[in-house]
Amino acid sequence: MNDSMSIPHLIMNASLVVQVVMLLLLAASVASWVVIFQRSFALARAKKAQREFDERFWSGIDLNELYQDVPENHEAQGAEHVFRAGFREFNRLMPKTRSSEAVLDGVQRSQRVALSREEDRLNANLTLLATVASASPYIGLFGTVWGIMGSFQSLSMAQQATLSTVAPWIAEALVATAMGLFAAIPAVIFYNRLSSIASRLLGEYEDFAEEFHSILHRNLQGRGSSQSA
Amino acid sequence: MAKRTRRVGYGLPVVLAIGVHIVALLLTMLRLPESEPIPSSSSVVQATLVSDVTATDKAQYAKEAKARAAKRQAEEAAQQAAEQQAQEAAREQAEQQAAQAQAEQQAAADAARAEAQRRQQAAEQAAAERAEAARQQQAAEAEQQRQVQIQKQKAAEAKKQAEAEKQRKAEEAKKQAEAEKQREAEEAKKQAEAEKQRKAEEAKKQAEAEKQREAEEAKKKAEAEKKRQAEEAKKKAEAEKKRQAEEAKKKAAAEAKKKAEAAAKAASQNALNDSIANEEERIANAQQSNQASNSFINLVKRAVEDQWHLPPNADGSLVTQVRVRLGPSGELLAATVTRSSGNPSFDRSATQAVEAAAPFRELQQLDAGLQRRFRDFNLKFTPGDIQ
Repeated sequence: MNDSMSIPHLIMNASLVVQVVMLLLLAASVASWVVIFQRSFALARAKKAQREFDERFWSGIDLNELYQDVPENHEAQGAEHVFRAGFREFNRLMPKTRSSEAVLDGVQRSQRVALSREEDRLNANLTLLATVASASPYIGLFGTVWGIMGSFQSLSMAQQATLSTVAPWIAEALVATAMGLFAAIPAVIFYNRLSSIASRLLGEYEDFAEEFHSILHRNLQGRGSSQSA
Repeated sequence: MAKRTRRVGYGLPVVLAIGVHIVALLLTMLRLPESEPIPSSSSVVQATLVSDVTATDKAQYAKEAKARAAKRQAEEAAQQAAEQQAQEAAREQAEQQAAQAQAEQQAAADAARAEAQRRQQAAEQAAAERAEAARQQQAAEAEQQRQVQIQKQKAAEAKKQAEAEKQRKAEEAKKQAEAEKQREAEEAKKQAEAEKQRKAEEAKKQAEAEKQREAEEAKKKAEAEKKRQAEEAKKKAEAEKKRQAEEAKKKAAAEAKKKAEAAAKAASQNALNDSIANEEERIANAQQSNQASNSFINLVKRAVEDQWHLPPNADGSLVTQVRVRLGPSGELLAATVTRSSGNPSFDRSATQAVEAAAPFRELQQLDAGLQRRFRDFNLKFTPGDIQ
């Protein structure tokens, strides 16, 4: 390959707009990769925590014990967060009202809020990946179009239009598209993968919330019947 | 929940992301330096397509020149040796011929001499014979004459006696009887005549026998002499011949020895010459391959010329050198400008011509060594023609 046609050489010789576009794409690519790594680690950790909490919850431990065992400064995540929010609301409402419907409503509401927050947390920054995946090809294309425009402008000044006069311009313009694709392709792949993991986790949280709700409901039904009896 | 879960920080992901990009960049960067030294290292021999070529080519040229010089020297040496040999052979031959000629001449001369001698001898002999014969004849004649004379004398004596007797007898007869005298005279005459005749015949016979004997003796003698002389001459000639043959043999042996020595010397001399011969062979091979490659280069040149579109702003002074690297089947791996003309469009037109002319499938027809050699060569472009 000719030295004058190497990629770094082409980048350095490109016009300013194309260079800016390339810089933008580089930044987008770096950001998308940061998100990819961060989300991968975070979701892996969330999955692990979910598995651990699941085992712990269904091991037959007393719910009060489970609730109090957790240290206060610990920020609960995932299903644990849902459990704690619901259980706290349940404990708070129990002394205040006799209506089991009101208690269950309050628990459900607080759990819904917790779930919404968890969803938010799981999907955090995934939108950035989605943006990079969808926008960077267009940005790259913009750089290419701009570069080709420049090449045609310079071509209009040349007396004879040969491929050799257009080729360097087009080559350096196409580098922008290449960079856009370079940023977009991993972003698309990892967005799909990470969002699928996140939605599966969220589904697990919802399932847990429903199960917890049914447990509380069962308890309240028992208490209501004992009180009435 | 002993385990404290925290939010995942951004420090590590950032480092990792930057690492990913650096790796990607290095992959694109590393491929370039990697791809270049491999063919350049494999291109031990560059095609000598252009007259002014790179340093390696020059080195090769120098080597080639040296080789050529060595070859020339070797050739000269070989020629000299051949000449020497030829001279030696010629000399030898000449000598041999001379010897032979000499021998022949000598033999001829000897033979001639012998012949002459023989002839002379024969002549002499003949002359002697003749002379002897003549002498003998003369002697015989003389004897005959003498005998005849003697006989004559005898006859005369007898006559005288007879006359005397006759006289006496005549006197006696005269005295006794004239008849008796006459009878006696007649008788005496008859007797004398018979005697004379007998004697003459005897003498004649004797002379003849003598002559014959002598002639025979002379003949025998002459023959013996002749034989002896002939034998002698033959012996001499044979001896001479033998001697000459021996001499010739000796000479030939000496010559052969000399030749062998010379050959040995030449062989020892050719300890160097051997290697030179090897090199010569190698050079011959190289030349052959050069010829084969020249056709390939010409083919490439023509193909590239056909595809070359000169940019309009190119003037005649532009020169650019393009290094062409080919794959094993003749496909173009790279055409790079090794010496720019300063006019980028001109340079580009040169590389594009090479790219358009590729692939050079004829490379497959060359043998393996040449293929390796012609996977990497230089082309010099000047407006007007490609060199």
